[in-house]
Amino acid sequence: MDQQLEHSRTEALAAIAAAGDEAGLEAVRVKYLGRSGTISLASEGMKSLPKEDKPRIGKLLNEVRTAVTSALDERKAALEAERDSKALGSVDISLPGSVLPAGSIHPITQLLDRAIQIFRQMGFALADGPDIETEWHCFDALNTPADHPARNEQDTFYLPDGRLLRTQTSTVQIRTMEQTPPPVRIIAPGGVYRRDEVDATHLAQFTQIEGLYVDKGVTLGDLKGTIEFFFRELLGNDVQVRMRPHFFPFTEPSFEIDIKAAALGRGDRWLELAGCGMVDPAVFEEINCKRGDRAYDPGEYTGFAFGFGLDRLAMILSGVPDIRHFTESDVRFLSQY
Amino acid sequence: MKVSLNWLKELVELPADTAALCDLLTKAGVEVEGVEERGVAIDKVVVAQILESTQHPNADRLSVCQVDDGSGQPRQIVCGAKNYKVGDKVPLALPGAALPGDFKIKAGKLRGVLSEGMMCSGKELGIADDADGLLILPPAANPGTLVGELFPADTILDLEVTPNRPDLLSHVGMAREIATLVNKPLTLPAGVIAAATSATAPATDITLEAPAAGPFYTARRVRGVKVGPSPEWLRSKLEAAGLRAINNIVDVTNYVMLELGQPLHAFDLAKLDGGIRVRTAQEGETFLALDGKSYPLAANHLVIADASRALAIAGIMGGEESGVTEATTDILLESAYFTPSGIRRASRELGLSSDSSYRFERGVDPEGVLRASARAIGLILEVAGGTAEPATSVAGNAPTFGQTVPFSLDRCNAILGSSVSQAQADQILSGFGLEKSGDGWKVPSFRQDLTREIDLIEEIARVIGIEAVPAREQARFSGLSEADRRHDQAMRVRMLLAARGYREARTLTLISERGLALFPVEEILRVRNPLSEDQVILRPSLLPGLLQAVAHNVRGGTRDLRLFELGRVFRAGSREERTAVGLVLSGAAVPASWRDPKPRQADFFDLKGDLVSVLQSLKLVGAEGLTFEPASHPALALAVEIRLGSKPIGLAGQLFPARARDLDTTAPVLVAEIDLDLLASVPARSRFQELPKFPAVTRDIAMLAPLGVPHGTIEKVLLSSGEALLTKVELFDVFTDPTGEKIPSDKKSVAYALTYRSGERTLTTEEVAEAHTRLKERLKAELEVSFRE
Repeated sequence: MDQQLEHSRTEALAAIAAAGDEAGLEAVRVKYLGRSGTISLASEGMKSLPKEDKPRIGKLLNEVRTAVTSALDERKAALEAERDSKALGSVDISLPGSVLPAGSIHPITQLLDRAIQIFRQMGFALADGPDIETEWHCFDALNTPADHPARNEQDTFYLPDGRLLRTQTSTVQIRTMEQTPPPVRIIAPGGVYRRDEVDATHLAQFTQIEGLYVDKGVTLGDLKGTIEFFFRELLGNDVQVRMRPHFFPFTEPSFEIDIKAAALGRGDRWLELAGCGMVDPAVFEEINCKRGDRAYDPGEYTGFAFGFGLDRLAMILSGVPDIRHFTESDVRFLSQY
Repeated sequence: MKVSLNWLKELVELPADTAALCDLLTKAGVEVEGVEERGVAIDKVVVAQILESTQHPNADRLSVCQVDDGSGQPRQIVCGAKNYKVGDKVPLALPGAALPGDFKIKAGKLRGVLSEGMMCSGKELGIADDADGLLILPPAANPGTLVGELFPADTILDLEVTPNRPDLLSHVGMAREIATLVNKPLTLPAGVIAAATSATAPATDITLEAPAAGPFYTARRVRGVKVGPSPEWLRSKLEAAGLRAINNIVDVTNYVMLELGQPLHAFDLAKLDGGIRVRTAQEGETFLALDGKSYPLAANHLVIADASRALAIAGIMGGEESGVTEATTDILLESAYFTPSGIRRASRELGLSSDSSYRFERGVDPEGVLRASARAIGLILEVAGGTAEPATSVAGNAPTFGQTVPFSLDRCNAILGSSVSQAQADQILSGFGLEKSGDGWKVPSFRQDLTREIDLIEEIARVIGIEAVPAREQARFSGLSEADRRHDQAMRVRMLLAARGYREARTLTLISERGLALFPVEEILRVRNPLSEDQVILRPSLLPGLLQAVAHNVRGGTRDLRLFELGRVFRAGSREERTAVGLVLSGAAVPASWRDPKPRQADFFDLKGDLVSVLQSLKLVGAEGLTFEPASHPALALAVEIRLGSKPIGLAGQLFPARARDLDTTAPVLVAEIDLDLLASVPARSRFQELPKFPAVTRDIAMLAPLGVPHGTIEKVLLSSGEALLTKVELFDVFTDPTGEKIPSDKKSVAYALTYRSGERTLTTEEVAEAHTRLKERLKAELEVSFRE
């Protein structure tokens, strides 16, 4: 019995080592460990052994079974590994990856959203107003006299009923103050319209973002801090901001904002980007008059406002030479963003 | 406005270099739009007279000239130009001269012949754009003198003056501003100082018939003038400021306008029929202006007229017939104040503007009217002779603008966030010509823009500069607004669409009739004054723009398209403006690749899948009730209304193939548009649901159903069965056979995978089988279906 087992062990281990594939290995397993395999039969034969032989043979049988089983497992793992590596080893990994259609967000939307996020960091909430506006919201309330050059058919689109397409998002300042007493701290992005001939740098409509903060004790220093923070966040710490005195009917003092930054790639040239100023008391008085109260008493409240166009900034930041790319929806353009 | 630095230098001491001056002006709110260097500031360029010119022995195109350079010795120059004749005087660059472009002149041989310098064109000297041969100098020029004396160097600044600062539209005005900014004195010419007082007499022959528009008119006659060319100093100053010299009388009026900012006009007295009437035009009256054009006037246009006809459109332009010519001997010089709004309106309505109207419509200094007249008379007598009337005839009154404006330093510092001292404020305000008066400041008549305290605060801000205001970073908290929520939802929709392969477009809001025809919609809004027929209609839908984008891309060679736009659309009636998202899908369902070189074309179900996926990702309450109902639209061969619960939220479908062909594509073009404002009012929520603890069992069900029974009906019969264990119904096969060979042609084979699950226990085979059988019975009872087992 002892010799028989030793013989089986030797024979089985040799057969396992010789098995060339998984089927061959399985045949070896059946031959020795299957229901009528050599080792299984020896196990059956234990019952008929003399009592004194049982512990010794039992121990040997166990050793043989363990040795054969682990050799089988090892060989099986080796054969599987061999098969797996054969299966994937020949894959041409330089073949292109599978693609789904790629989508994208318009560069102006990306810039707009970035700007909104920065203003949100500063505690501004969004406000909204219609594109179709009354003359009062677009001009009168903004202290623009009736014979101001902007208020004619040459520069502004009118509807047959006398309303117009807003020429600036400043209309949202007015709508917000009409409805909400101070404090207000809002930004208002949106489309605006000017009756400009279309060329490489002009469209008859573009996107602006407007800001307004009215509260007790708002100063020009707050405006400066806000504008500088915004452009630093947007364009990097190397940005230089120049606020140049200017004239707008609805702010006083008024400034135009020029920017210099490496991100703009314009060398040492200033880029005129925005207008801003302290809300003109005449605007507050128009609002009070419309509201029928003194909520915006210019003796008590002060405020600042700013506005800038996004299209030109987007053109410069992304190196787009012709503004019409933004509205043509050419996939070869859109897929670059 | 063009400003000559030579002229300014006569009035105020300027900063050392031009860049510093530009910086100063910019920081004070006067934008420098251009800097132009004029004249010749080059050493060793002298006047030379050509004495002799012979053919160069070795070069056909060159000649050899002997010139007189003033040294007494003839100088030999080789020259390539042909436009001169012997005896002409020309600029000569001597050896050692450095011409613009760092071009150094040396003596040397040209094709073997010595040339001791170079005769120059205007371009080579930097004073002309073209180089049509040598610059021929006036015969009076003396050989040997520096050409710089004939073309004195000057720097011309092109300045943008904001509309609230008409007082800066003159050299004296600009010099006064600079003087305050740099705290230096203003030096007025003696003639201007002398003109400050002049004799006046009430006019007997001027009638003001429209005093609101023309409240103040003065006239002075000069007899026996000799009209002719102006002297050089006068011509050069006009030309420096961009005006053309005409004759000495007209030139003086223009000169005084550039000097003091008051437009003037001179009439030929002999052409006048009686006295001056300042009246409104008669309806139908036309006027032949100096520019040679005839203007139809309206009743609200102010004219200067005599007894019989209009002589000038007041403040805008004089007439062809009454102007000063070479034959004029007697003149009438007008100096007046016209109300800005009237000039502005007339100028706009007539489409006619001039240097004069530019100043009047912004507002001239009413107190400067008489001074300008006296200054001009003084100059006319100097350059054209003649005898002036002893006094200026004056009609009406100049409006007074000497208001006193309150000013509080505390308020100034409170608004600016600055720490300006009283002394600093006083110095700034008095520098601008204001006088302290009680608690406020009296404003000079030329600063009509200063009417309120905030205007004075702005003056202080301009002078101290934004640099003197410390930036403050502090915020107030703000809650999310309704607009914030909408923006966030819009960005989420954009991200979801981009994730499904759609690219965002931003098309124009104003579209053409042709664009609208691509996807007709009613209740449109039009612009009254479109700029072109491309932009006439406020888009009622995003789809016309997106379909134009499809055509544009197809023509550019891109046929596989997934585009979306999120933006405003406009319709007449209630909810005039709303925010919508539009989609177009056309071409391959997936990008072609080595795996799938000819992918199938996208169809309606691809679009539907995208819509369902995006809407479900928004986690809107009730999104499980998203349905697609048959609808119709003139552009769509297949049209469905998208509903959330019972609420229609949009439209989807497939374009008629003929319309797709109009876009140059034969592929199906799928479109959809959803009203985002309607979605914005639906709350979004996602709540945790316990994960299943027990395994599910799936059983398939395959049936033959009449072609006309939609999947939706079958699904509804299954889902509304009340079968507690049924958790999911998935369609996995649809088969039809028009030939009738495999299944009858009026039937379709559909197969569903039904998933059964209990939240409490593992299901037994028996209970699943029972439920499955009940469902089959139900289907059979409700629909004409048979099962294929």
